[in-house]
Amino acid sequence: MSDKRIGTKNFGKVYLEGKRYRSRREWRGVVDTLYDYSRWLYNWFNMFRIVLSKPRNIKAMFRYRWMSSYLAVPMMVDRHTQGLRGEHLRICHAEQDIIIEDVAKLLDKLFRGDRRIGNDTEFSKKVVLLDENEMQSVMMGFPTVVPLSREIASTYIPVLLNQRAAVHYIDVAQEYGLAGDVCPMPEAEAGVSIDDDAPILGCCAVQCNTTCDGSLLGNGVISKRLEFEDGIPVFQLATPLRHTSEDVQDYAAQEIRNAIAFIEEHTGEKWDWTYYFECAKRVNYATKCRLEWLEMSKTPYPQVFGSNLALYTETNYMAISGRLPVFEETDRKIMKLAEKAFRKKKMAANEYRHRAIVWGVQSHYYMDFLVWLLNCWGIVPLTDMLSMDNTDMIADEDTPENREQAIYDIAKLTERMIMRNRTHGGYRVLLDDLWKFVEEFNADMVILWEHMSCKALDGMHGMFEQRARELGINLVWVSHDLFDPRVVSRQGVRDQINTYMRTVMGEEPVDPTLEILPDEESW
Amino acid sequence: MSKLCTVAKKLSLAGAAFFAVTFAAYYFNLDMKLTAAMEPVLNYFYDRVDRDQHL
Repeated sequence: MSDKRIGTKNFGKVYLEGKRYRSRREWRGVVDTLYDYSRWLYNWFNMFRIVLSKPRNIKAMFRYRWMSSYLAVPMMVDRHTQGLRGEHLRICHAEQDIIIEDVAKLLDKLFRGDRRIGNDTEFSKKVVLLDENEMQSVMMGFPTVVPLSREIASTYIPVLLNQRAAVHYIDVAQEYGLAGDVCPMPEAEAGVSIDDDAPILGCCAVQCNTTCDGSLLGNGVISKRLEFEDGIPVFQLATPLRHTSEDVQDYAAQEIRNAIAFIEEHTGEKWDWTYYFECAKRVNYATKCRLEWLEMSKTPYPQVFGSNLALYTETNYMAISGRLPVFEETDRKIMKLAEKAFRKKKMAANEYRHRAIVWGVQSHYYMDFLVWLLNCWGIVPLTDMLSMDNTDMIADEDTPENREQAIYDIAKLTERMIMRNRTHGGYRVLLDDLWKFVEEFNADMVILWEHMSCKALDGMHGMFEQRARELGINLVWVSHDLFDPRVVSRQGVRDQINTYMRTVMGEEPVDPTLEILPDEESW
Repeated sequence: MSKLCTVAKKLSLAGAAFFAVTFAAYYFNLDMKLTAAMEPVLNYFYDRVDRDQHL
């Protein structure tokens, strides 16, 4: 263990009761503070360049309620970089900064085609709307088509930025009679549609049956408006849930063929095999990098873990799917930094007390909880359920056999989308694999998110407890409601860990100022 | 030559001033304090948008 303090010290003191923001940013030493400042400047510059310099985007800022959450982008970066120094700080920025740029471009394109804002009809003819919880691998053969997700921009990202971003839309959905006990993520997405707060654009849309009853409910509400009012035809990509079974793969592949034919029909574009295999190579490279980062996490010196792993995997694996070369460059950059830090046996905090696997569906309004675990209690979140996705290499050479195999690969990727890969497919992928990972990663603790509206996982509660008792693993349940901090607040989330660590483990926190934080009103 | 020196001096001063102002904004979180003040203003507009709200 290093004597030099790496992580935060008394960082809880910069939180301000009842305020959106903290009193100041973190002092990380001269070099790292100047580096962090330069990235802060770069992000503001990028946001101005891509979004705020165009009048149509300013108009959108005053039209769409969810746009106000984007004011908090720098705060999100601060939350995830908290306590980080050296290579870990640079890894975090490499990921966050590219995601910020990508989302800024997504907003710009949405408003360019939006009938209410930019109304660029020629551009809109090349746009295919994709569901938020959907792998974009079905777009890997369309270089000139623009895949856009309205839900990523209006609900998924805003909740990462502002914990209360979805509250208004959840209330709107429930005012119109939608059940209050479904997952608040698709419920908020339906709320955006009901509230007439979604951009209208595109020549067609593809929705996926991912991942639950709430998702199907939300898609129904959204597609009704898209098809019957906006005149945008919608394809329902019905991917099998039993994705580990071989007998569903022919059907899954046929669904992909149907989706491709639908997109070709509405965009007038043809599937491009050369582009597909280029993207496939990048998908394989991303998989290779993720596997190497996970290998490092099996040693005493993990380098890419916690929210650094979770946020980037969600973006790169699901939303990018090899389509953008800039993410391959970022993979290389992260790999270089991780290898350098690994050689030097660098730690991301001053003290590592426990090695944890984080399982279950994580709280979206408290994504930086993983950073807090490390800084407050010295618990290292080695990996999380949503980062344990497909590890198979896909066919990436253009041959007649591989063209057939590629359809099956796209189907497999779609079936193994981040949320679907573990919550569906049977108890082996959800339950048995967890204990396998505990052993492989030499973990002594499991942090088990209990998303109280997720019926896919609730039924397994007792089985998790039984196996943890048998194996002598410390299992900590952490309840939350994904998008709705009114049900379990961020402090409510922290209290569940605080109570366990003090009573069961009999430990004192590494940084006691982080144990209770006045961030109820914070972004 | 003296003209070049004056330009260089002015550029250095402008750079230093830019750094001082932006670094103060960064460290004291002034950007977030300003955007927090903008939130109620934006909400005022959102509440007045004419919407076709329905299922």
